[in-house]
Amino acid sequence: MSRTLTYYPGCSSQASAVHLDKSLRAILPPLGVQLRDIDDWNCCGASVGHIEAGHLANSALSARNLANAKAAGPEDVVTPCAACYLNTHYVNESIRGSETLKGDLNEALGVVGKSYDGSLHVRHICELLVTDIGMDAVKAQVKKPLTGLKVAGYVGCQTVRPFANTERANKFDSYDDPTFLDDFTQACGAEALPFKMRTHCCGGSVSVMSPDKGLHLIKELLEEAQKLGADVISTPCPLCQTNVEMYQPEINKRFGTGFNIPVVFYSQLMAVAFGLDPVKDAGLDQNIIKSDKLLGR
Amino acid sequence: MNAISPNPSRAYDLNFARYVYENIDGGERLRMCMQCGACSGSCPIGQQMDHGPRKLFMMIRAGMKEAVLTSNTIWNCVSCYNCVVRCPRKVPITYILHDLANLAVREGFDAAKKADNARFAKAFMWSARKYGRTDERLVTGIYYFSFGLLEGMKRGMGNQKIALNMIKTKRMHLGMPHAIKAKDELQNILAKAQEIQDRHGKGA
Repeated sequence: MSRTLTYYPGCSSQASAVHLDKSLRAILPPLGVQLRDIDDWNCCGASVGHIEAGHLANSALSARNLANAKAAGPEDVVTPCAACYLNTHYVNESIRGSETLKGDLNEALGVVGKSYDGSLHVRHICELLVTDIGMDAVKAQVKKPLTGLKVAGYVGCQTVRPFANTERANKFDSYDDPTFLDDFTQACGAEALPFKMRTHCCGGSVSVMSPDKGLHLIKELLEEAQKLGADVISTPCPLCQTNVEMYQPEINKRFGTGFNIPVVFYSQLMAVAFGLDPVKDAGLDQNIIKSDKLLGR
Repeated sequence: MNAISPNPSRAYDLNFARYVYENIDGGERLRMCMQCGACSGSCPIGQQMDHGPRKLFMMIRAGMKEAVLTSNTIWNCVSCYNCVVRCPRKVPITYILHDLANLAVREGFDAAKKADNARFAKAFMWSARKYGRTDERLVTGIYYFSFGLLEGMKRGMGNQKIALNMIKTKRMHLGMPHAIKAKDELQNILAKAQEIQDRHGKGA
């Protein structure tokens, strides 16, 4: 049975994380999910929009997306990006919880004849995979198990943490020891390493704007992955993937290390395991550090 | 919602605490802070902060407005939410730090013009407002050149290899920025939101 969900790809889907978007669009249809993009979706403001625009204007970015999503139908909104999920889910739940905010945002939307009532559900695609699709369904699609591949599952911060321990939490959130990424790895037939630093921070956008402040965080992650003998690091987060991958040469230069560890999205692993094309469907040619062990399958 | 952010001519002004409780996003929970320090202790770059959230919150209570809004603690937050989930009193620390940073921007503090995060946020929102989308290439470029022509070129050159790698893997978009169709619509929504924001709790 196939179901259609509203999809919010996010800005990184057109730049640094095209390979996340590409691989998701390849693996979700076989798992029974069709994606319908939010019409004319805009930026969510990520972690910095609030600083420049303020709470309400930053929330208005998500409000427009939610209004457009609702206009297309009542289906759940799913997004693969940590920042998109954080902002959209936060604004959606805040609208439900505050008549004042709901009024203010609808006043802003009203100038262009739009409105939003707070009735949608915003979910992370990983949560969809865990809760609705389930690992049995994922395993059923595996045609080329990734036997012998050692994977360090790096969850990062914003995918599971912001709502854990709050009234907005869902079953999926776990701020210290999330296991879903290891379940994904194992469902693909690969080996999930006991990567203790799975929820340590990569520095986020601070690593991009001020490498002096953030690169040591990435170095610590890579050290742990190397110690465990990881063939690849797997992550759900667009910024984690980019940060941990693209800075390896710079980290090697600054710290005298010799890292060259591929960093891939969980969805790329699934695409390969599902027997789809490693380049056309998994987008593995778009990783800066190529994984021969994956590309060769 | 209408308290006036006090004038910083006095080093200690207890009205500042009330202003934060009533106007900063999540600020009302700040009353619950019991100064345990779980926030500062769990911050991945807490060592690079001048005060850390725990001390900053005590400074808010003491009414040290200028010291709070010129502190680098509000600019160094990496938005990892470690502190938020660990806080035994459920203070939404990350949200508070972001909104304090926004207050510093609105009130025109010099530190708010110079901080990396403020420059980056400005470049980021420029792209979001103008195109409705983030153009990573333009945001990074504008951020680099916010330090001046020479420094911008230096930073650009320093990251040449990374840029080249991103272009080679088709992860840096070349050509015109991706833009939404209804740019006017988004800009009108944002302008109205800004207007409502100002109407509510106008900074100072």
